[in-house]
Amino acid sequence: MKILVIEDDSEAAKYLIQALDEAGHVSHHAGDGETGYAMASGMDYDVLIVDRMLPRRDGLSIVESLRAEGDRTPVLILSALGEVDDRVTGLRAGGDDYLTKPYAFSELLARIEVLARRASPAEADTSYKVGDLTLDRLARKVMRGDEEILLQPREFRLLEYLMKHSGQVVTRTMLLENVWDYHFDPQTNVIDVHMSRLRSKVDRGQKVQLLQTIRGAGYMIRD
Amino acid sequence: MTKLSQIWRTTTVRLTALFILIFVVFSVVLLGYMAFQSSYAIQRQQTRDIDREIAQLQQIDANQGIRALAFAVQRLASRPGPGIYYLGTEVGQMVAGNVANFPPGVLSTEGIYTFEYDRERVFGDAPQSAPGQEHEDGQALVRTVELESGFRLVVGRDIVERRGFTAIIFGGFVVAVIGIVLLSVLAGGLTAMRVLRRIDGISATSQKIMSGNLSERVPVTKRNDEFDALASSLNEMLDRIEQLMQGLKEVTDNVAHDLKTPLTRLRNRAEAALRDEADEAKRIAALESTIAESDQLIRTFNALLMIARAEAGTPSGAFSDTDLSAIIRDLAELYEPAAEEEGGKLITEVEDDLHLHANRELLGQVVVNLIENALKYAIRSETKDAEPAPVVRISAKSSDDRIVVEVADNGPGIPESDRERAMERFVRLEKSRTEPGSGLGLALVSAVARLHKGTFKLEDNAPGVRAVLSLPRRL
Repeated sequence: MKILVIEDDSEAAKYLIQALDEAGHVSHHAGDGETGYAMASGMDYDVLIVDRMLPRRDGLSIVESLRAEGDRTPVLILSALGEVDDRVTGLRAGGDDYLTKPYAFSELLARIEVLARRASPAEADTSYKVGDLTLDRLARKVMRGDEEILLQPREFRLLEYLMKHSGQVVTRTMLLENVWDYHFDPQTNVIDVHMSRLRSKVDRGQKVQLLQTIRGAGYMIRD
Repeated sequence: MTKLSQIWRTTTVRLTALFILIFVVFSVVLLGYMAFQSSYAIQRQQTRDIDREIAQLQQIDANQGIRALAFAVQRLASRPGPGIYYLGTEVGQMVAGNVANFPPGVLSTEGIYTFEYDRERVFGDAPQSAPGQEHEDGQALVRTVELESGFRLVVGRDIVERRGFTAIIFGGFVVAVIGIVLLSVLAGGLTAMRVLRRIDGISATSQKIMSGNLSERVPVTKRNDEFDALASSLNEMLDRIEQLMQGLKEVTDNVAHDLKTPLTRLRNRAEAALRDEADEAKRIAALESTIAESDQLIRTFNALLMIARAEAGTPSGAFSDTDLSAIIRDLAELYEPAAEEEGGKLITEVEDDLHLHANRELLGQVVVNLIENALKYAIRSETKDAEPAPVVRISAKSSDDRIVVEVADNGPGIPESDRERAMERFVRLEKSRTEPGSGLGLALVSAVARLHKGTFKLEDNAPGVRAVLSLPRRL
């Protein structure tokens, strides 16, 4: 993936670019808002990572201008402002996701990978398939091989989200935001318990374990 | 001079000056009106006297004839006093009386006239004329009547004396005005000084407080006047500020403890990992625990920021119509598996459609904090085996115009003496100090309750704790 990082803190930017590089992505860096805007509108990127508070031009106005020009490149906004209101302003300006500093790199990586995929048209699929597991979104039916798996509504949404992003890491916060629609950080292992229940329904007694825990990052479904 | 101009700039002095001015103007108007009224009353009295004498003389004329009238007029005219009398023809031929030279017109038509006349010729004495002054004109007020016989009868009064009376009134009036001005300036000055002294006292106290002595208080007198009321409320405010400062100091101490401890642990682990004898596995473990520790620190900071925002009052734009029933059901469902994992139960008794105007995210966080807290307390107990299975019961119902949310556990509970403190920032009751958690959960609940104009308290659930959050439907 080709990624543009617009971030004024050179230390943080260096770390971020190195980590993205290690994850196999090509990334460029812009140190201020004007340069960032020029690079973003001049070149084709898969994802933009935009810090909200930048010298010369703030992050939100960059995103607004790009959107006004019809640029649909997915944008992840980074900010030290973490309140719900700030988040809403960020997303309203045209950002696709919002991450509060300080963040775990695994969280950022998971989110930009999901963002880059979101730009592709697989969005409207009516059913998902991973290995011998199929999920029919319209009939709300889940099959493992020939056997139907009965899921609670929330478990269905959890599996739906995981399968939509199959092969990608999804973090606990992403699950909480997208499946439960809450933006806080639970102190206990609530998500893990839900995952282990889902896993027992989907994977128990199966040769291939589809639901995988990615240590220090989150979960992934793949065959 | 500067001192004077400074005094002039004070509100009290200006107000006093304004009131003196208003007072003087009113006094002048009032005294002037009184002087006018009294001279008018005298004139009315004189007119009445004149009318009475004329009536008497006309009676004499009618009953006893013109001769008797002439005698009567002559008798009246020769009496000492301010009387003016004339009986004679229309052209000025006097039959009896003491004044003959009337201005033209006075004798020809009936009516009331005032005119100047030669007083010396009438009275001879001219008591008020200074030497060297030829003579003094008199001022006459007369009434002319035409008798049946065609004679004219004129009866009047010299009103120079009345003018003298007016002069006396006016003199008194001037003295009174000067007196009033002096007195009011004096009284105003005294009042202003007294007020200024009280205000100076308050300023002096605030100066002392600003220079660091927060225990200083504004003096309160026994007079119990408005300054004492002001001083008392200022003192109450200072008490509150001192209390808050004390609270802030406690919070700072707690921050120092609760943030420095994990920071120290973090640093120690990093150091240990750097040591030569540490092998690869140990280093990785140290790094992982460093990350976990810093995540906990970030959580603590976030919670602190959230509390600060809630206490400062978030912008009203963040408030919207919120379905609390849905929030509680969602979150209970989120936590139910976690509770069951611990061998416990999460029971929800939530009424439908509990809508209120609120900040959804903050309310969600509050419900999460209450559930997590209750689970923690229900599960954690020393005599785990003897204890019944941990049960957390969440109920929400509407009563009148409020929504009451209760989260109860059956854990060991909190002693009554500790309940107030449990809701303060960073307070973790001694037993729970070793447990994970920022110590900010219930403080955030309190802050959010206040933000929504609601209340939050901890009650005894016997056994366990019942957290009661009461929120008004409308702000």
